[in-house]
Amino acid sequence: MTVRMGFVIITSRCIDCDACMVACRSENDVPLGHTRNWVKSSGVQGQFPKVSEVFQPGNCMHCDNPPCVSVCPTGASQKRSDGIVIVEDKKCIGCKYCLTACPYDARFSNSETGKADKCTLCLHRLEQGLEPACVQTCLGKSRLAGDLNDPSSVVSMLIAQYPTRILLKEVGTGPNIYYIDEAVPDIPDGK
Amino acid sequence: MSKVYTWDQLFSRRQFIKGSVAAAALGAAAGIGLLRPESNLGQGISDQAAVKGTKLVTTICEQCVWRCGVIARVEDGVVKMLEGNPDHPNNLGRLCPRGNAGIETLYSPDRIKFPLIRAGARGSGLWRRASWDEALSYTAEQMKKIKDKYGAKAMMFNSTDNLSQPFFEILLKAYGTPNYGTQRSLCFNSMTTGFLYTYGTPQPGTDFSKCKYMIFTGRNLAEGISNSETQEMIEMVARGVKVVVLDPRFSKTASKATEWLPVRPGTDSAFFLAMINVIIKEKLYNKVFVNQYTQGFEDLLTEVKDYTPEWAEKKCEIPATTIRRIALDFASAAPAAIAHPNWRTSNFVNSFQTERAIAVLNALIGNWAQPGGLIPDQDLSTLKLGVLSHPAFPIAQGIRLDGVPWQYPMVPLAYGVIQTMRDNILTGKPYEAKGWLISRQNPVLSIPERQKTINALMKLDFVAVIDIQASDTAYYADVILPESYYLERFDGLIPIKNKIFIRQPVVEPLYDTKSSLMIYKELADKLGLGEFLPFKDEKDLLAQQLKPFAVDLEELQRVGHYEMQDFKEDHSKDFEFQTSSGKIEISSGIMAQMGKKAVPTWNEPPRPEKDHYYLLTGKTAQHTQMFTQNNRWLLEVFPENRAWLHTSVAAKIGVKMNDDVVLESEVGKVSIKAYVTEGIRPDCIFMVGGFGHVSKGLKAAYGLGASDSALHKTITDPISGGSALSETFVTVSKA
Repeated sequence: MTVRMGFVIITSRCIDCDACMVACRSENDVPLGHTRNWVKSSGVQGQFPKVSEVFQPGNCMHCDNPPCVSVCPTGASQKRSDGIVIVEDKKCIGCKYCLTACPYDARFSNSETGKADKCTLCLHRLEQGLEPACVQTCLGKSRLAGDLNDPSSVVSMLIAQYPTRILLKEVGTGPNIYYIDEAVPDIPDGK
Repeated sequence: MSKVYTWDQLFSRRQFIKGSVAAAALGAAAGIGLLRPESNLGQGISDQAAVKGTKLVTTICEQCVWRCGVIARVEDGVVKMLEGNPDHPNNLGRLCPRGNAGIETLYSPDRIKFPLIRAGARGSGLWRRASWDEALSYTAEQMKKIKDKYGAKAMMFNSTDNLSQPFFEILLKAYGTPNYGTQRSLCFNSMTTGFLYTYGTPQPGTDFSKCKYMIFTGRNLAEGISNSETQEMIEMVARGVKVVVLDPRFSKTASKATEWLPVRPGTDSAFFLAMINVIIKEKLYNKVFVNQYTQGFEDLLTEVKDYTPEWAEKKCEIPATTIRRIALDFASAAPAAIAHPNWRTSNFVNSFQTERAIAVLNALIGNWAQPGGLIPDQDLSTLKLGVLSHPAFPIAQGIRLDGVPWQYPMVPLAYGVIQTMRDNILTGKPYEAKGWLISRQNPVLSIPERQKTINALMKLDFVAVIDIQASDTAYYADVILPESYYLERFDGLIPIKNKIFIRQPVVEPLYDTKSSLMIYKELADKLGLGEFLPFKDEKDLLAQQLKPFAVDLEELQRVGHYEMQDFKEDHSKDFEFQTSSGKIEISSGIMAQMGKKAVPTWNEPPRPEKDHYYLLTGKTAQHTQMFTQNNRWLLEVFPENRAWLHTSVAAKIGVKMNDDVVLESEVGKVSIKAYVTEGIRPDCIFMVGGFGHVSKGLKAAYGLGASDSALHKTITDPISGGSALSETFVTVSKA
């Protein structure tokens, strides 16, 4: 079966510490003023003292039908056979069509290179058998990555066990970040 | 006459890279090529790298005091990435945002790159470059002059928690001053003294892994990150354990808890006394444990008789039914239930009583050394490092400026009361202080009433600061001795249970800086006290520390830690309590001796008058105390502090989110942006500490947010010495 790389993010395990954002900046030399990933807060909801707040980490969804790829005039934005969406710098002319096309606002124009920039799922780390930087550092094991097509991967096992949701399902991008909001007491052992 | 530089000139990149100072500073060894050439560091310099290839170096983080294990990836001589060391128990392979951001500070243009001697009025920001020999000689001369003329006691030594602190303490003892200042009275004096006088140990551990019921009252692990403990908290929440958070503010920990109780500030002890009342009345305490291991239960019975949940509700504004329910549930989860000892709970004069009530509540349910309960002092069961042999210390002459023990008889000498030390510099009582040696501490921003601290610095004859950057205190110094960053230096070894860990240079120092170990040692040499720190260099010292173990330094450096194979944890003394009675003191023998009420009791805290608010301060996950605000990677995720205002308060004064507001206390006034939220009691205003830097040497942080130290009044608990930070009340108005 083909490989389909993606993320599971367990929001109930996120404390909004932003370690993932700093680790990504360090690993990927993300320029100041931009970020490849994020943690969004719902803000404090409700009325004192009955309030709640939830945190939702995110980054490029490495969509099945990535609009950033279809609008790219040069073929710089590509969907790899393993599912990872990348930008081939050499081909990018900095037209920013993809920035507008992405419904998740996951791309930015790199002020140093003038090219479109985004999460690569830390492809260079995967190639060395390492987890993406954001996953590696996550204090709550909220961020997990792996092959969604491999039933023995951590992400597949969690998707099989818990209800999940995806963002902006209605736009038909087929995003590959699966969110689990329920409490997950044990992270299964898996690939 | 050497050239005089302003801060702007010292830290201008142009000046630094191209000017003559820079050329001299960098020298041949620390070439420009070592500066990380990445755009997100703002350097934009690329040149030949000194060392080709990739290496991994194991070391210890210093972005806070938790001492996490780090594996640094160094590519072509440039530190590229810091990752958690999976073999290290303090972080289990993961780093928090601050730990991830260490590289930014290493390559920051705001590092102090060579020794500086003041060249204008104190605080004028005029400096000249000095050699190490000159800077250390000058410091030693001033310290000797003070000792000869006024006695060693006129010199104060301050440092904060760090791996080389034991060697700083040797230096101060060898010099012979009784005046040592730490950060502790601004932090956890009430917790440590409360537990010390109950269990004989200041800080027992907590077994999260088997705990079934947790109450936090000042331990905000989602925002005051203590890496491994924060991970344990997250796992505990994920297991569905009942977690109750008492906090006037809806913290991120509260957002993860099963129950948030917005307690009225300063009244937590009413909540706990009422829990004790219920547990005793319902006979839910562990009678066997109480009989065998505690003293003073009868006195407690009498004291808590009237502390009913209904009484407590009037004080703490938590419904009596809630208090009763929590007491019953907590007791039924015993012994796998913990009222957490907390951390920086020195917020009210009565915080010592709160901590005592918490300590006693734990004792009543007998959770000591039980799965899911309190863990006896783990430090007792740790490998013991080799020590330096040196002559006996001179006996320090004179009483301490911080009032310990003559004004604060119950405060342990090692903790001290730093805010009183500052006050007594100003009063000149009981004698005049003349000099201050401060190692990586920032009293200007940490002690209440910032202006008083600045005035105190201005009054002294001599101020020397050891730091990596131009802290607000370094800004007012006469000499700055620049310390190498933690990624560039050795520090003392750190034993954790059966392992010994090492902090070691990941790269050679980029600038003309030294480890604090060598600064202390060379200063001792110049003072004629070299025999007290008898080591040649850092490696020689570490080899002496390693002497009892079958490992050499080279091996330790390579592996990053040493593990003692046949080490057994010693639990034989778990129930030998180091109190005067040898038991858990529900009724404290020392309190009784001091003529105070010996069992936990209620002391009514002050409350704000009309149109005044409690000023609360606390932490954010992205910064550490006053130390990391200049780190631009961290500023990306937490750019400045804001004043949390309840929606109704914001409406009343007509401000919206991010409008500027003015907070004013009896001692100061600041302008700060508003954060409007339903997540705070309407009678409270909260701000994260550590912002509002006054040092122009901190280019990124200067001018961001506001400092709580400008607002805080100086109020001290006479028992624990804790600074009662939340007894400051403020008004708020639209700016």
